[in-house]
Amino acid sequence: MILFEEVSKIYAGNYAALKQVDFHLKQGEMAFLTGHSGSGKSTLLKLISLMERPTTGRIVLNGNDISNIKGNDIPYLRRHIGMIFQDHRLLMNRSVLENVGLPLLIEGYSRYEIKRRSLAALDKVGLSGKEDYAPIHLSGGEQQRVGIARAIINQPPLLLADEPTGNLDPKLSLEILSLFESLNEFGMSVLIATHDLGLIAKMRYRTLTLKDGAMINDGLMRERNG
Amino acid sequence: MANQTDYKKVLSSSPRITKVSFFGRVGAVIRQHFQQIFSSFTELWKTPFATLMTILVLGVALSLPSVFHVLYKNAERVSAQWDSASEISLFLKKDISEPRVQVLINKLSMYDDIDSVTYISRHQALEEFKEMSGFSKALNYLDENPLPAVLVVTPAKQAMNTAGSKLLVAKLKREQDIDLVRVDVDWIEKLQAILSLVVDIVIGIAILLLLSVLLIVSNTIRLNILNQRPEIEVMKLVGATNSFIQRPFLYVGAWYGLLGGTIAWFLTFSLVQWLQSGVMDLMGLYQVQFQISLMSFAESAIMIAVATFLGFIASYISVKQYLVRIEPK
Repeated sequence: MILFEEVSKIYAGNYAALKQVDFHLKQGEMAFLTGHSGSGKSTLLKLISLMERPTTGRIVLNGNDISNIKGNDIPYLRRHIGMIFQDHRLLMNRSVLENVGLPLLIEGYSRYEIKRRSLAALDKVGLSGKEDYAPIHLSGGEQQRVGIARAIINQPPLLLADEPTGNLDPKLSLEILSLFESLNEFGMSVLIATHDLGLIAKMRYRTLTLKDGAMINDGLMRERNG
Repeated sequence: MANQTDYKKVLSSSPRITKVSFFGRVGAVIRQHFQQIFSSFTELWKTPFATLMTILVLGVALSLPSVFHVLYKNAERVSAQWDSASEISLFLKKDISEPRVQVLINKLSMYDDIDSVTYISRHQALEEFKEMSGFSKALNYLDENPLPAVLVVTPAKQAMNTAGSKLLVAKLKREQDIDLVRVDVDWIEKLQAILSLVVDIVIGIAILLLLSVLLIVSNTIRLNILNQRPEIEVMKLVGATNSFIQRPFLYVGAWYGLLGGTIAWFLTFSLVQWLQSGVMDLMGLYQVQFQISLMSFAESAIMIAVATFLGFIASYISVKQYLVRIEPK
């Protein structure tokens, strides 16, 4: 699903955000990406979602070498990645239903199909009946669920989540992660960037650890007190 | 895991794989175009005051060249009327005999640039003068008729303009039996020079105003793009192409142009209607029957189409300048 081969990202001023990173996330696999602030988690996610290009190395996504992908192909590739953000990135001037159906609208589905699938996605994330709400009238957790519904509505093979529980309380965080688990059970690859080590330890999934742009650990993380 | 097979379907060596069929995509593009045309119109009225201000400014800016165009068109019609009424008077030498006059008339009638020749004999000229001047009794005391015979020449259509008239006059002056050629082309020449200058000024002003329309729409669209930057970023993140995102902005620009053009047409129509009675009164003083000609259907359609196109182009400039550069962070 995702293959990183000696990927480095160096920003202006010779700042190396990622250094020679190698990893392989298989199809249907769920993993955490962790590390302190500035460790390179967001850069790595940006490289996968083509918001940034690697300075050196090779990235393969869905069988495509995306290291030197043409700009015109980027939107089509992004349609195969579900992205979830800490700040939700919802369109506040549109209803919940319109937010969730946006990827389908872009892909050219009919209105009927968009509505049908958006309602199904909202049902999946436990937001049935809130389709006509404006996102601003929802709680943080609910807004995050709208973001998840939008990310999964076109059944992407890969789900990327950048600090999805960053603004949520522990109970809600667990609920959101359970949702990711259920999506993963249906075959979706999931990569979650978080610095919440307690949560990672509870979930017991593969964990990629970054420090100063380098991959320092790739394996299961144990609960500190257990 | 039945759904795993579904996910495999979307894996491919080409990133352009889509889950919608070819015809589905074509239909979707057409549907999206229509949806975006109408949604962009609705979008305009979410900020009614700003929209109204913008289209009014465009309307005023576009109405000025169109009013000038209508005025020029009518001025040209007036000058054409005067021009076509111009006649050339040929004062013949006093000692010319009637048979020589007849020969001269026949000769002039054969000229391509002369439409008709009317002969006024010395006797007819004196009678007309007596009638017009009111000095008939005094004129009876004259020993001989002091007036020469006159040939009134009406130039053919191609010789009615200033250059043609001048050429004809030069030819007529070479005739031996003609003592004096009188044609008042100077004022026509001056009028045409003034009109030509007015045309140049109007073209200059029109270019400046059309440029201002471009700038107004372009700037409005630029502000719209900057205001919607977060939305544009989100759309790009979920896979929207540049053309999908830019279409509503292009349509908004075209709507501005269309509405501005319509207002300009209405302003032009109203202004010209308002001037109508004043112009008719003025022309009446010169004993000329004149009805102001408004913009024709074709002219109106061209003006609105040009305004719409300008709006579209202005929007396109902004979209290419700002929207395409926005990338999600």
